[in-house]
Amino acid sequence: MSLYLILIPFISSLFLLLARPAASRSIALAASLANLAITLFALAGFNGDGSFNHEFSVPWVSGAGIHFRLGMDGISMLMVLLSNLLAPLIILSSDGEKYRPEARYFGLLLMMLGALNGVFMALDGLLFYVFYELALIPIYFICAIWGGDNRIRVTMKFFIYTFVGSLFMLVALIYMYLQTPGTHSFLWEDLVNVQLSSSAAWWVAVAFFLAFAVKMPVFPFHTWQPDTYTTAPTGGTMLLAGIMLKMGTYGVIRWMVPLAPESLHDLAPIFIGLAVFGIVYASIIAIKQSDLKRLIAYSSIAHVGLIAAGIFAWNKLGVQGSLIQMLNHGINVVGLFYVVELLERRLGTRSLSEMGGIAKNAPLFATLFMVIMLGAVAVPLTNGFPGEFLLLNGVWNFNPWLGAIAGLTIIFGAVYMLRAYGLVMFGPANEATAQFEDLNTRELVVLGAVALMVVAFGFFPQWILNITDGSVNRILGAVQF
Amino acid sequence: MKALLILFATAIIVLFAGLSHKRQRMLPLALGGVLVALGVTLSDLLMGDSTGWNDMYSSMFLFDNYALAFGAVALLTTALIFGLSGWGFRQLSETLGDNYGLLLFSICGALVMFSFTNVIMLFLGIEILSIPLYVLAGSRRDDLASNEAALKYFLMGSFATGILLFGITLVYGCCGTFDLQGIASAVQSGRATGPMFHAGVLLIVAGLSFKVSAVPFHFWAPDVYTGSPNMVTAFMATVVKTAAFAAFYRLFSTAFVDLSAVWGVAIAGIAALTMTLANTTALFQQDFKRMMAYSSISHAGYLLLAILVAGKTGAANAILLYTLAYSIATVCAFAVYMTVAEQNGDGSFSAFNGLSKKDPLLAAVMAISILSLAGIPPTVGFFGKYFLFTAAFEAYPWLIVLAVINSAISIYYYFKVIIAMYFTSDENAYTVTVPAAFRWVMLAGVLLIGLLTVSPDSILGLIR
Repeated sequence: MSLYLILIPFISSLFLLLARPAASRSIALAASLANLAITLFALAGFNGDGSFNHEFSVPWVSGAGIHFRLGMDGISMLMVLLSNLLAPLIILSSDGEKYRPEARYFGLLLMMLGALNGVFMALDGLLFYVFYELALIPIYFICAIWGGDNRIRVTMKFFIYTFVGSLFMLVALIYMYLQTPGTHSFLWEDLVNVQLSSSAAWWVAVAFFLAFAVKMPVFPFHTWQPDTYTTAPTGGTMLLAGIMLKMGTYGVIRWMVPLAPESLHDLAPIFIGLAVFGIVYASIIAIKQSDLKRLIAYSSIAHVGLIAAGIFAWNKLGVQGSLIQMLNHGINVVGLFYVVELLERRLGTRSLSEMGGIAKNAPLFATLFMVIMLGAVAVPLTNGFPGEFLLLNGVWNFNPWLGAIAGLTIIFGAVYMLRAYGLVMFGPANEATAQFEDLNTRELVVLGAVALMVVAFGFFPQWILNITDGSVNRILGAVQF
Repeated sequence: MKALLILFATAIIVLFAGLSHKRQRMLPLALGGVLVALGVTLSDLLMGDSTGWNDMYSSMFLFDNYALAFGAVALLTTALIFGLSGWGFRQLSETLGDNYGLLLFSICGALVMFSFTNVIMLFLGIEILSIPLYVLAGSRRDDLASNEAALKYFLMGSFATGILLFGITLVYGCCGTFDLQGIASAVQSGRATGPMFHAGVLLIVAGLSFKVSAVPFHFWAPDVYTGSPNMVTAFMATVVKTAAFAAFYRLFSTAFVDLSAVWGVAIAGIAALTMTLANTTALFQQDFKRMMAYSSISHAGYLLLAILVAGKTGAANAILLYTLAYSIATVCAFAVYMTVAEQNGDGSFSAFNGLSKKDPLLAAVMAISILSLAGIPPTVGFFGKYFLFTAAFEAYPWLIVLAVINSAISIYYYFKVIIAMYFTSDENAYTVTVPAAFRWVMLAGVLLIGLLTVSPDSILGLIR
């Protein structure tokens, strides 16, 4: 079953790119919904004890121990759920007028979906690396073809940053591979079983950290992120922030910590320190932003900083919190970027100073935006709350001081989100905002679905925690530092 | 051996057929010869040779799996290049037969370089490969750049052969034999040693470094690549490079395999210099063909990594996969370049502006080739790099880190083409029409890249 999650997007992507049919959006939507159906089906019969479900394995380069091996434990399942849940929404939200030629855009988007599913399911080190890089190519094209000003320079910076980061990971993976016994193997279990000396583990952990820290991004490797998020077309930003950055956090849980735990006793405090510093740093910058898209980009650095800190704390609360927050942050950030897109579509600007008084003309829009915004602020009974609560608890258990500083994210988050919401919705209307039209059907479906998930996952976080519970117990039991 | 005879006969027939000025017969004749030779080579490679023809001339040749596999790569590449030649040679009239004939003679030399078991044969192979190319480089007689290319190539080439021959002489003086196994046993028994022998080995390294265009012996390459006719450049960048590396590896993995203490440092230094200098220089190029020249030098730097671990399991297969991936991608890139540049008269990156709108498939072929050359997963170019790097990782970790950094640098210049094709608006008034044969070659190339991506395994077991 896991193979279909990759094959369906790739085959439909090739079809869209080569045949360039007119009904490309419908085909893309159908393919992504088929993927979602398979995901839900896989979830229905899921064995959450931490073993790998739906395994598929064929040798790829047999002499060199490289396998095409896919499989899902609870952690992978949650990530696959995230990407396949968001893909139809992103396709539905993409404004066809903006993306010409449409077939190329949707083809690249589906290629991205296939690669992301591959990243989350790969159980072979080299296969993971291949999917990790493959995901970069379509998003690079999406951002550079349909992006805004300076797109070529900005996307090149993004590409080089992430590519160089993951090359370090490749070197680390090859090093680990050469330590495996016999004819060597890239299988996850074989790599995990390698015992490294503490100095080698130090290098391996740092190399992995570079790859994943760039992707997330964690301070000080974040400098590509605000420009790229702002310049990219909204569909690209949603993919980047909603799903792609989770490749980094997922990679830490699946690969970095299990492969090189020997050195993390010393390194984890440094990584958490960077992450926590990034939370405060990005939050303060977010408060001062006047461009709404840029504001959400910085808020994303803050949120992902907390997720990273929770993972490196490596206790049950931290890791469970990071997983549920990965899903919910993905949902919220897609909703928020869609709000930016709707505002920009109607007003032609993203500047907060040129907005105001929209709530009166567009009550539906104002309500749904508020629900999503509350989720991002982590108000209790929204989806943001359980994750942030668990994460802060986990970091606190690691070190109370770091937990207290990380806790500032709640206060800062409320400040910048409420400020933004107020500037957009309330106050006097200007000429443009007085004409503001409320949501049409398609926009309502997308934003409504996001808001529904915000509320549903806020009321029933246990749904999500149950998926990952067994896997987290198993991985924490097996790997300690 | 059979392929060599077929090609030699075809070359002579084509040469004489050229006198009759029936130009439409030339291409089927030459391409047919290459394809038959390719078929024979593949059947020998996959099913084994039953005729005993593969070991002839007092064992100065041995067409073992190594020779056959590289022969297949070179012949496949030549077939693809000949597929382009119907349009690529359209301006030639009187000399068409000569051009095909010389290319065929040159590939005969390549086959000798894959199969020698005697240093004299290596020398002869290099000469048979090179002399036709000196002529071909200057085949646009009224073009000053082409004349310059021919002269530079000839002077530098004969200089390099002189150095190589000097090295061979010194080695012979110490070992008393030209036979590879004989030299190897002389080294093992300790008979061959001392400064004269080591100087001979290092002179051979220098001579071969000229041939593979490694820094600091690379100065001829950019001018020769740029000045030569496009068809000839495509041939030089692919078949000649493959031949030079296969010969380099064959010599060092048999005769000098136990001497890595002598040549290891030298080649490691050359590899480091080659990668770094070529990649940084390529960043500043504005002309596509010149960029490809530096890119080919940088690939020589990566390939030297396999020479460093000559004799190690997997190193020969790594070179094979790498040269195959590199050759196919380079031919495809040249096919697109020729279509755009020769119709437009402009070979700079800006000639590619907006190509994705004019002809999406043409742009896609170029993009796939470039991604493969840059070694970006999951293209076969990545697997080529991966196996090279893994082979040399344990012995030379610092060199691998340098190679990885260089791969990242190369993205900057490779992506200039992609940026031009996809992200730059179209200000060129010209239109592009792709000759039908070009479409077939590109289709074959892209299919091969795709197949190798799915199954690099099929190549990696060929040399045992």
